[in-house]
Amino acid sequence: MFSFNPDRSQYPDVGPDGKLEVDLETGKYLKLWHGPNHPGITGNMSVEITVDGDEVVEGKTHVGYLHRGFEKLMERRTFIQVFPIVCRVCVPEPDFNEYCYAAAVEELAGIEVPEQAQWIRTLILEMGRFNSYMMAMGGIAGALGSGVIGQWMTYVRDLMLDRFEEMTGARIYHMFILPGGVRAGLPEGFAGRMEEVLRTAEKYLADVDKVLFTNAVFKKRTKGVGYIDPALFEPYGVTGPNARAGGVAKDLRKDAPYLVYDQLDFEVVTETASDIWARAMVRRRDIDVSISLIRQILAKMPTEGPVMTALPNVLHWKIPRGETYIKGESSRGEYGYYLVTDGSGYPRRVNVRGPSYTHAMALLEHLIPGTNISDIAALMVSLHTYPPEIER
Amino acid sequence: MDMRELIERLTSRHKLGAPIFQRPDLTFVDLTDNDRLRALLVELRDIEGFTHLVLLTAVDWIEEGKFQLTYMLNNRAANQTLGLRVYLERKDPVEFTSIHDIWPTAETYQRELREMFGINFPGSPRVMDEFILEGWTDMPPYRRDFDTLAYSQQTYRDRPGRATNDPRDHMKSKMYPEG
Amino acid sequence: MGFRDVLSPFTAWKHVIDTPVTIKNPIGREAAERYRGFHQNDVDKCIGCGSCEDICQNAAIDMVAFAEPKPGDSGLRPNIDYGRCCWCALCVDVCMTGSLTMSNEYTWVDSDPDAFRFTPGVDAKPWDDIEKGYQRAGERMLTGLARPEMVEMAPEARADNFDEIVAGYSREQAVLEADRCVECGLCVATCPAHMDIPDYIAAIREGDYDLGTQILYETNPFSEVCGRVCTHKCETVCAAAHEGEPIAIRWLKRHIIDNVSEERRLEIVGTPQVASSGRKVAVIGAGPAGLTTAYDLARSGHKVVVYEAKDQPGGMTRYGIPEYRLPYDALDRDINVIKAQGVEIKTGVRIGNDIALDKLKAENDAVVLAIGLHLGRSTRVPGSDGAGVEAAIDLLARVTAGEAVPVPEKVAVIGGGNVAMDIARTMGRLQMQKYGKVGVTVTALEDFDHFLADKEEVKESFEEQIEILDGRGPQEVVRFKSGKQKGMVKGLKTWKVVSIFDRDGRFAPQYDEGDEVVHEAEMVIEAIGQMADVSLLGAELTEALEWNRGRIAVDAEGRTSEAWLWAGGDAVRGPDVIHAVADGHRIAASVNVALMAGKEAGA
Repeated sequence: MFSFNPDRSQYPDVGPDGKLEVDLETGKYLKLWHGPNHPGITGNMSVEITVDGDEVVEGKTHVGYLHRGFEKLMERRTFIQVFPIVCRVCVPEPDFNEYCYAAAVEELAGIEVPEQAQWIRTLILEMGRFNSYMMAMGGIAGALGSGVIGQWMTYVRDLMLDRFEEMTGARIYHMFILPGGVRAGLPEGFAGRMEEVLRTAEKYLADVDKVLFTNAVFKKRTKGVGYIDPALFEPYGVTGPNARAGGVAKDLRKDAPYLVYDQLDFEVVTETASDIWARAMVRRRDIDVSISLIRQILAKMPTEGPVMTALPNVLHWKIPRGETYIKGESSRGEYGYYLVTDGSGYPRRVNVRGPSYTHAMALLEHLIPGTNISDIAALMVSLHTYPPEIER
Repeated sequence: MDMRELIERLTSRHKLGAPIFQRPDLTFVDLTDNDRLRALLVELRDIEGFTHLVLLTAVDWIEEGKFQLTYMLNNRAANQTLGLRVYLERKDPVEFTSIHDIWPTAETYQRELREMFGINFPGSPRVMDEFILEGWTDMPPYRRDFDTLAYSQQTYRDRPGRATNDPRDHMKSKMYPEG
Repeated sequence: MGFRDVLSPFTAWKHVIDTPVTIKNPIGREAAERYRGFHQNDVDKCIGCGSCEDICQNAAIDMVAFAEPKPGDSGLRPNIDYGRCCWCALCVDVCMTGSLTMSNEYTWVDSDPDAFRFTPGVDAKPWDDIEKGYQRAGERMLTGLARPEMVEMAPEARADNFDEIVAGYSREQAVLEADRCVECGLCVATCPAHMDIPDYIAAIREGDYDLGTQILYETNPFSEVCGRVCTHKCETVCAAAHEGEPIAIRWLKRHIIDNVSEERRLEIVGTPQVASSGRKVAVIGAGPAGLTTAYDLARSGHKVVVYEAKDQPGGMTRYGIPEYRLPYDALDRDINVIKAQGVEIKTGVRIGNDIALDKLKAENDAVVLAIGLHLGRSTRVPGSDGAGVEAAIDLLARVTAGEAVPVPEKVAVIGGGNVAMDIARTMGRLQMQKYGKVGVTVTALEDFDHFLADKEEVKESFEEQIEILDGRGPQEVVRFKSGKQKGMVKGLKTWKVVSIFDRDGRFAPQYDEGDEVVHEAEMVIEAIGQMADVSLLGAELTEALEWNRGRIAVDAEGRTSEAWLWAGGDAVRGPDVIHAVADGHRIAASVNVALMAGKEAGA
């Protein structure tokens, strides 16, 4: 095996403004746009990279391609009218938005949620996490040239979307978790059909283990690559699987149990290497946790009783002045809604804390210098970022 | 961790307002002396275990002439979240202390606040760089006085042919136009 | 890393022989049973309240004309722009009738973008009859189903006195109830006075009782009265009544007026702000119709004198409605605001006896007749002439006036309307005071399913130990034929009613003569309707006026066939407070136009 030891002595200097002094005129550096349309980019974002040979000396994340001003739009909508918008803040795992927003409104308006609804919410969040991980698995494999994994995962995800469809009435944007509860209980025979999906998933995941995780190329390309020093976790706000891959068992499902997580049996998955491999492995193993949780929920959950609390007339619903922050452990880390109310019928401010906000911006920009250009895609995908939650 | 006790302890040195114990694991408190921000944040981070900057954002209280900045901090071991609130005069130019050196990730939040609320944080890396908006010339759009509806009406055209009726007015016009 | 890591990936090849998992043609794939696809609307069930439009955060819904409006139905139906719809189904959730649903059809291809804007249920679509799709699982969850319970005096506590029964809503109750209103305004068309109901309900939510009072007075100077005894037709067309209880509009009106002192009310309403017109109007009858006319005309700058035959103003609201439903001081508060407008009320003056109608005609620019219905009708069954048989309306007036009325231990009432309930409950109270027990039997022609009196009245009567027998027709007032009590009332003989109307819908009761009961009673009270005492008109004018089935004929503005004379209220429209108020406004507007046009109305 050959090794590559570039001469880094001629890297650009840091100027007085803290920026690198890249003089493109010298012909020594080249600027490249990685994205916004690139298989190694998760969603619509791009990284402006400066390369010296095949070494990346600087990377700047560019977002805004998906900006729809959601937070501002919410300020113009009544509390119930915000409900259909929030899910759109994150396409692959929209349900966290629905849960966090609903829980924030419930807290400030003093609304109790029925027991069964809490279980269904948990079920939905785990189904969403499962789907999100399916995309992550496909993504990391795809970023390193193994497209077939992406096809398998898309198929399995589609089967889960069928379950979402029959439960919530929609495939992608479910609009199912309303303030006050959820829209309906589980359909007849749901658990059986879910079990079929989980079994199919396990079959394909076994193949993933053989094809991706027992793979010389994948190992070579990911082990020791994209290392994040755990000392960076706090300064850079790293949460979720990205932190768990570095041995920090951060998981809000355990650290600050919400919904019915305190009634479920699971371990927080951790790895120690904090490289791309470890992050992929944490996600792979967390899929098994999700599958187990889905089974537990379906076995334990109450199936009788209400799923929704009657709300005050939502057409002129006012919530007293106050503020709260609701968070949950999404597939990418801490997902939260900061809701500020002013006594009117509209939110004063809604701020969405998406984990990608910290992971794909400051952290990624910090990690990029010194990587090989061919690893950029894998590095990015290994952080598992979803751009719409950055720009909202 | 007893948040009441913590707030009491901090208040003696940092001039805090009355805390709001929103939940057993969530507390909000105002910092009444803005100059104490950095000292307080460092103390919270290094001594009190609030090592995680959850978010940093602004709320525009335009009627009161103030911007509220919320520094949401978390102590994971104690499962405590503290929303530290600071108020800025809502008078341009609005500037405030940068904390990018305390939490590097704050640089992104501060860039966004500069762009969306027009709150500048001098010294924060790339704070003047465009973040989400490109070529934006209007006022910072997340300020309350930026009217999204007016903006979209000026920028886009309504689809022709749409008209609606108010049930009450419609019934009046048809059933008792004189009354 | 070993040999396995090189070979293992090749296991992927086993899938090469798998059957493809993709669907060849997704158009036509059936969605899940709950899928939220294109809308369906049951247009016969839909009332066009527009709640779907209000809740739609995408502004995807327009309310478009579908049919002529009718009471309780605006005739509008939602038209949906699928270029904007996000399929959230909040419109389905909020729908007040449950008419709006979603089919599970979601695949539809059309090259014309405007095709994706249509009125479900009106523009026929292939999915109109699909049963699968999204329907609200249970009752409405987003707008509140039930009213807060009204606090009332317990039956035992109220049985022997005339204290007001209904306590009125507290602030908390009123806000809860006001909160349920969806502000569709379907009620406004049905209210005879077209009161701005959603607006004053909104004022309650905002806690702005001054504004509420102002809104009430724009359309009705009798809010104390109507807040208590209005027939509240508005509530029968309330959108909330389709699932759950209608908004308690009447109680909310009362709640506003309960929360504004008389002094504050006078400040809010103020006094006429226009220069005096120099015109004079005489109003005969100080009931709601006459006083509303007077109020409006006074505020338009005219000099108004109201002539009232009885000792107190208020008309039927004072002399017909018992005090436990409408306390006299509440009525007085309404009347005081009217008086403050400069309206002069001359009570104890009977036109025809004390002042000739001709004199009024000569001295005024216009005369308004609002004399009410103060004569009771009689059944004219055998024995109904003579002592021991009373007219309900007459007895109620005497009780109000403080006169002594006979209170026997056993009373039979004929009639099933609200007046029958009023007199039965009044007599019941007097009996409690005198004997410590109630002995009233009400016999009504109608059965309970078709009862004329309000449900609450019937319920409360039962609570007060009144016996109500439905489906019984009066045949004779039985009198003692001999002995010491000869000639006195012994009881009321009734037969079971088989049917009330004939095939053509005419009043022609049929009885089962075999089912005969004599209800023991020392007094029989007839409460089967009232008529106007038109003797004041005199023969000449009676002859000159046009009549319509025994009532003075008027046009839409309340004009009689005589140019100087307007007529309205119960005497013209039949008994109902809010109709009388509406009539008062109409007449005042018409009189005002006539006066301002400088017409010599009295010529």
